Amino acid sequence: MLPVLVVHGGAGHIPKERAELSCGGVMEAVRGGYSILRAGGSAMDAVVEAVTLLEDNPAYNAGRGSVLNVKGEVEMDALVMDGRTLGSGAVSAVRRVKNPVQLARLVMEKTNHLCLTAEGASQFARAMGMEEVPEESLITDYARMRWRKNLAPGANPVECQMGKMGTVGAVAVDVEGNIACATSTGGMLNQMAGRVGDTPCVGCGGYADNKVGAVSPTGHGEAIMKVTLSRLILFHMEQGKSAEEASDLALAYMRERVGGLGGVVVVDPQGNWAARFSSLQMAWAAARQGQLHYGLYTGEHFTEPLEKPSQ
Amino acid sequence: MKTVIVVHGGAWAIPDDISKASVDGVKNAARAGSVILRNGGSALDAVEKAVRTLEDDPVFDAGHGAVLNTNGEVELDAIIMDGGTLAAGAVSSVRNIANPVTLARAVMEKTDHVMLTDRGANLFAESIGFPSTATDALVTENERKEWEKFKKYIVGVKELFNPKWGHDTVGAVALDSLGNVACATSTGGIRNKMVGRVGDSPIIGAGGYADNRSGAVSCTGHGEAILKVTLARLILFHMEQGKTAREAALTSLQYMVERVNGGGGAIVVSPTGDWAAKFNTERMAWAAVEGEVLSYGLNPQEDCKETFQSK
Repeated sequence: MLPVLVVHGGAGHIPKERAELSCGGVMEAVRGGYSILRAGGSAMDAVVEAVTLLEDNPAYNAGRGSVLNVKGEVEMDALVMDGRTLGSGAVSAVRRVKNPVQLARLVMEKTNHLCLTAEGASQFARAMGMEEVPEESLITDYARMRWRKNLAPGANPVECQMGKMGTVGAVAVDVEGNIACATSTGGMLNQMAGRVGDTPCVGCGGYADNKVGAVSPTGHGEAIMKVTLSRLILFHMEQGKSAEEASDLALAYMRERVGGLGGVVVVDPQGNWAARFSSLQMAWAAARQGQLHYGLYTGEHFTEPLEKPSQ
Repeated sequence: MKTVIVVHGGAWAIPDDISKASVDGVKNAARAGSVILRNGGSALDAVEKAVRTLEDDPVFDAGHGAVLNTNGEVELDAIIMDGGTLAAGAVSSVRNIANPVTLARAVMEKTDHVMLTDRGANLFAESIGFPSTATDALVTENERKEWEKFKKYIVGVKELFNPKWGHDTVGAVALDSLGNVACATSTGGIRNKMVGRVGDSPIIGAGGYADNRSGAVSCTGHGEAILKVTLARLILFHMEQGKTAREAALTSLQYMVERVNGGGGAIVVSPTGDWAAKFNTERMAWAAVEGEVLSYGLNPQEDCKETFQSK
């Protein structure tokens, strides 16, 4: 059953014309990460590779393609966690970095801290020799169009939010049984400057523990925080629930308790996996035992051999 | 219904020369919070008041008296959470704010977000006319000396959490007469931290969590370890499973030592008024008011009692 990799490209309401883009990207990301696992690579390498591919893909709200805050800037959050040591690294409200997930990993590996924020995270990136990219290079026409639309008088920011909540994330178990998760996001459309969502908060925007499993969520960040969604799912799994049962229980709880919608990808140490969501859609893909699984709408689950060319 | 408030002034090797001031400080804060509860005030008001009292007391590493980062600056983190609604507010790496816990509460009450960081938190503070302080107003003479002493010894990266160097996050949990619980935590972090380092305090589920169905927790200690095990949420999870406040705190602190080799402390109150103040560091200054009894302590097993007087 090992290795296994599951990725998501965000839960929300994805406009029809963007649905195909959304599915193609997660399939490509899962192929990229899974090839590392099949070559004997670590779960951490695989989730970082998968999330890097999604950050580089302008169809998602992470890295290039991130939504803009109310001032028209890109501020990004990311988290990685290593289930063997519970080591973790995160950055919040970081600017002008191409791949925040890689910076989060450096926080984990090169500092004795867990989270660096804003200008401090940028200073650290420079100290690590990470290239500072122009803000423009992270901004797509689509993101700018949506930002303008939301600034217009009479715009309903809550409704517009539903258009694209595409945080991205990945969870994996490698052949040695090590588990990892990674999550990355540009946050919420027209968010206040400095708003930090669930993504960089351990236990909210992700959690990985070799003894239980790993989770990467997406959706309404503030709701995910209030119920510490990732840790909640793993608590249910510790109590004997399957990855799927635990996800459904926790997502239902989040809806009832704080009125929030979202989705998750989950793995357990045996290689069982789940991709569940309470939102209208979530682009997801998984790879295990030579098979590629993917879907977008509730109940959708396509399977094809990984080796087959994707056309 | 009975009310309870428990406060802590940080879990670390508190030196003898400030031990009395630390105990006096937490007793004052517990009294201040208790007065609010006795007058029918909310748990939220009580924890905010108690933590403000500790922030204003220069003996503690929060607000006035905070430690300095590697650049010799004060950067503050705080969280507050309402167990009735799971609403929460947090600020990270905020500067020039004397009472970050009150700013965190404003984030909860006046924005759609849970957390604001760095300059974004300051922009928000300005926009609501929140009072700011001069840059050096929060720095004590003693801290400047300690910081300079510290700078002379270039410590190895793995040594930053040396309890001798001071580490005294403050926090409070309360149960009000309507059965609502709340928590608040505030800190200056660890001395000589990297610019932008965010510890456990402002992270929901790590530095604090409050839920009317299970209880409220505020944590202190090795921030990175607390984050890795999401200590506050872990303690409440054990309480959901039927453990008492004391058992849940001890089990979780023990787990944190075994799994990630981290020391710390926690204060806990349940919706029925069962409370605990536990730590596995050398000392933790704590105080609690339940009914007419003010309890307090500093050393392990210490549990002094006196009759509550509002001063």
